[in-house]
Amino acid sequence: MQMRRSRLVGLFAAGAMVLVACGGAADDGAVDSADAEGDTTDADGGGATDGEEFDVFALLPQGNDQPYGTTYLPPMEAKAAELGINLTITNSQYDADTQASDCEVAVASRPDLIILWPAVGDTIRPCLSAADAAGIPVTITNSDVNPEDKDLTEAFSGPDTYGQGAASAEIMCDLAGGDEIGIIMVNGLTGNSTAINRESGFEETIEAECPNVTILARQPGDWNKDDSQIAASEMITAVGAENIDGAYAADDTMVAGVIDAFIARDMDPADLYITSIGNTFLGNPLVSDGSLDGTVFQSSSWDGENAVVLAHEVLTGQAVEDLFMPSVKVTADNADDPDVAPEW
Amino acid sequence: MTDTQTQPQHAETDDARSDLISRVRTILGRRTEGRAVALLSVVVVITAITEPIVFTSYEVTLGRIALIGLVALGLTAVILMGELDLAVASTLAVSGVIMASFESITIGILAALGTGLLIGVVNAFFVIVVGINSFIATLGMLFFLRGAAFVISGEAPVRLANVDAGIAFGRPLIGPLSPRMLIFIAAFVMLHIFLTRVRAGREFYAVGGNREAAHDAGIPVTRRVFTGFMISGFVASLAGVINTLERTAADPTAGSAVLLASFAAAIIGGVLLNGGRGSVFGTLLGASSLGLLQVALTLSGVQVDVQNIVIGSVLLLAVITDPSSLRAAAGSMRALVRSRSGP
Repeated sequence: MQMRRSRLVGLFAAGAMVLVACGGAADDGAVDSADAEGDTTDADGGGATDGEEFDVFALLPQGNDQPYGTTYLPPMEAKAAELGINLTITNSQYDADTQASDCEVAVASRPDLIILWPAVGDTIRPCLSAADAAGIPVTITNSDVNPEDKDLTEAFSGPDTYGQGAASAEIMCDLAGGDEIGIIMVNGLTGNSTAINRESGFEETIEAECPNVTILARQPGDWNKDDSQIAASEMITAVGAENIDGAYAADDTMVAGVIDAFIARDMDPADLYITSIGNTFLGNPLVSDGSLDGTVFQSSSWDGENAVVLAHEVLTGQAVEDLFMPSVKVTADNADDPDVAPEW
Repeated sequence: MTDTQTQPQHAETDDARSDLISRVRTILGRRTEGRAVALLSVVVVITAITEPIVFTSYEVTLGRIALIGLVALGLTAVILMGELDLAVASTLAVSGVIMASFESITIGILAALGTGLLIGVVNAFFVIVVGINSFIATLGMLFFLRGAAFVISGEAPVRLANVDAGIAFGRPLIGPLSPRMLIFIAAFVMLHIFLTRVRAGREFYAVGGNREAAHDAGIPVTRRVFTGFMISGFVASLAGVINTLERTAADPTAGSAVLLASFAAAIIGGVLLNGGRGSVFGTLLGASSLGLLQVALTLSGVQVDVQNIVIGSVLLLAVITDPSSLRAAAGSMRALVRSRSGP
C-alpha cells in the first residue's frame, strides 16, 4: 500500500508539472514523493500471527500533528503489522464534517473493520449507521461514543475520560483537606467528548466528595499551552489573585500554561493546589519540582496498541468488552517510578 | 475552372478559417476555466489509474464535491465583485447551532437561513456603507459569529430533537443522489443562470471589474454588493443546515476546513480575487478537482499533512499560472534584463 500511496502522490506531482506546462510557467511546486512517503502511516507488512490479513480503516481526529498522536500511532502500526492488519489511517483534525466524509470513504472501500476515534461524539451516529448498514463492524478508541450510540459499536478501548477527571478531582480533594478553597478551571476544546467527560468527572466528584472546593471561573484552553496561559491570566484578573488557591487543567500541556500565568502574576505555583491529567513529558517534571501537585497517567502507547488488539479480537470472532486504561494518580510520591514514566 | 476563379474561393475559405480561429481565440480568451479544466483532466486520469474506486463509489465523491463546493458557490458571488467573505465558516457554524436549538426542524431551518441572510446584510453594511475593507469587516464577523455559536450552544454540540429525521436526510433521495447533492446542483444552476442570464447578476462582473465605471454607468453598486453578501451568507447558512441534518447535531466548532477549501475551489476555478472575472462553472470545476483529490488521497491512506501539501501546491500553481500573474512576471523579467543590459 505504501508503494501505491507514493505512486499516487508522485503521479499528482507529475500532473502538477503538466499544469505548469499548460500555464506556460516553470514552477517547483510539485510534491516531493519522498517527503510524502516519509509521512505516511502505512502499517502493511507481514508477521501476521495466523497468516490471516485484514483491511482496517482507522478514522482518527489527530495524528503526527499532536504530541499524543505522535506516540499513539507507532505502537498502533507495530501491533497492526504483527497481527496482519493493513491499516489505512485518516486524520480529520477534529473537524466533524471531515471525519464524516472520511467515514463515507471508508464505508465505500468496504474494509473488514473500522476503528473510530470520534472527533465530536454527538455527530458520529450517521457514520455508525452507515457502517452498520454495510455490515462493517466498528470499534471505538480513545473517546467513547454516547450511550445511545453504543449498540452500533462492538466495544471501546481507551482511557476512562470521566474517571480521569474524577481522579484529578480526588487529588484536589486530598490537597484541600477540609479547607474552603477557590480554584480556576481550564478545559479542553469546546465540544470535544474527552473535554466534556473530564470536566464532568472533575466537577461531579468535587461536588460529591469535597464541596468545600469552589470553581470560581472556567474557560477552554483548547488543549494548547498558549491559549491556556491567556485563559488563566484572564481568569486571575476577573476573580482576583487573592481569591485563588489553585487550578485544574484538563491536561498537562494546558496546566503548563496555567502555571506560567501564575508565575507571571508573582504567584508561586508551589503555594497553590494544582492538578491535571496526562503525566506527559511536560507534566511529569512539573510534578517532580513541586509546581504541579498531581496528574493522572494516560499512556498513549497503551491506547494505540489496544485499539488494534481490540479490533483483532473482533475480527477473529472473539467475545469482546470495553477495555479501560487504568487511571493511575501521579504525585510527588511516585512521579519517578518507572511504571509511570511519561510517554508523550 | 480557371486559376482566377479558384484563387478568390481559396481566399474566402482562408478568411473564414482565420475568422473562426480568431472567434474561438476570443471566446477562449474570455474564459477563465482553462486551468481548472486542465487540472480536473489530470486528476481524473490519475485517479482513474490509481484509485478507480473513486469513480465506482461516485456517490461518496459527489458528496465530497458538494461539501466543498456549496459554500464556494456563494463565495464566488462576493469574489466576483472584488470583495471577500471570511465569515462563511462561522456563518455555517452559527446557522447550524441556531437550527438545532429549535424543536421544530422547519422553524429551525427558516431561522438558520434567515440568520445567513441577516449576516450577509450586516457584512455588506460594514463594507459598502461604513466603508470598511471587506477583509477586515468579515474577519471581525468571523470572530463574532464563532463566539456567538459557542454562547448559543452552551459550548457543546447541540443534538437535533429529531435525530432520525437527520439520518433520513443523509440517505440518497434520487438514485445515488442525496439531498445535499441535489441542493448543490440546484444552487449551481440557479447561481449560474443568475450570473449569466439575469441583468443584476451580470452587473456583478461590472462592479468587480471597475466599480467607479459601473457606478457612472448607472449600475446600483450598493444594491449589488448587498445582494452578493446576502447570497454568500444564505448559501453558507444552507451548508450549515445540511451539515447539521446529516450529522444529527450542530457543532459550534464546525466549518474549520470550509473556509480555505471554498476559497481554494474558487481560485483553482479561475475566479479572480480582484473581481470582474470568473464563473460558478469554474468554481464547480475547482471543487470537483479538490474533491476528487481528497477522496483519492484518503483512500490511499495519505496522511492529511501530505494531502495539504498536494492541495497547497495545486493552489499555488493555480495562482502562479494565472495569465495576469504570468504577464506581471514576464514584465518583471523584461525590466530586469533591460536594467542589466543597460549602459
